[in-house]
Amino acid sequence: MNKVRRKKTYCGKLEGFPIQKHLMIYMMFILLLTGCTAQEDRIRMKNNTGEKEAKAEELISTHEDVKKAVILLNDNDLLVALRMKTFSRFNKRKIGKKIEKELKKSYPDMTVTVSVDNKILLETTKIINENIQETNDKKIKKLKSLIKEET
Amino acid sequence: MDKKKYGALEQKISPKTPLLKNCLKAFVTGGVICLIAQIISLFYMTYFDFTERTASNPTIATMIFISMLLTGFGFYKKIGQFGGAGSAVPITGFGNAVISAAIEHKTEGYVLGVGGNIFKLAGSVIVFGVFSAFVVALVKTILVKLGVVGW
Repeated sequence: MNKVRRKKTYCGKLEGFPIQKHLMIYMMFILLLTGCTAQEDRIRMKNNTGEKEAKAEELISTHEDVKKAVILLNDNDLLVALRMKTFSRFNKRKIGKKIEKELKKSYPDMTVTVSVDNKILLETTKIINENIQETNDKKIKKLKSLIKEET
Repeated sequence: MDKKKYGALEQKISPKTPLLKNCLKAFVTGGVICLIAQIISLFYMTYFDFTERTASNPTIATMIFISMLLTGFGFYKKIGQFGGAGSAVPITGFGNAVISAAIEHKTEGYVLGVGGNIFKLAGSVIVFGVFSAFVVALVKTILVKLGVVGW
């Protein structure tokens, strides 16, 4: 009995205030628009060594599956974080391993680490944005140990 | 009245199950549960040191905790009434099965009551899950040996 009464008053409220219904439609339209974001760079890089980063950039831009990449060169480390296109996410690990092999061939003197994880991308972007030389090495070490975590 | 006639009469009178509507409701319910789990997973990745790989552990723990609260307060059965398989298939459904069995048999004591009956519903889930995993692995091994697919 209580439920029936509650439903009747709720329906009455909706009927008596058509403005609320219109408001809902406008809100949903605005929410849809929030999906549009500004265009961002496909590959971001930071080079702290003498090596050329052009090779890595070229290599990654040839892969069509990679939506976004961040490349960080520091001392002897080459750290690459990738984000794949939506349907390529199913074999993202295989593609990541292929890119790692190709990068190891291009940079034989550096320790190459490639990760397809979203978290690693976020952390590498943070390191590039902060750009403090002293803490860079520690952060990169921490990041590499995070990549190796299995469970 | 003989069996056949009764069967035909029963078929005529009983209302048809609205299959499409049930499928849509299950789809929406399962989708909402998975959406909530994805939000929790993103939360763990952003504010803690979890990668995509390792964030599934705390996410599952949180989802089971939520399902425990919902089962204990009697809300999960209402979700199950509406969503059907959409609420039974995700990990929350498994949690609900185990937790409701534990609640039901608490009066019989902890060792024989709760301990002995807690996997009453979940037992078949585990048995048939392990069995189907075995069958799938066997099929894949045979296909790999024949050279049809790679590992």
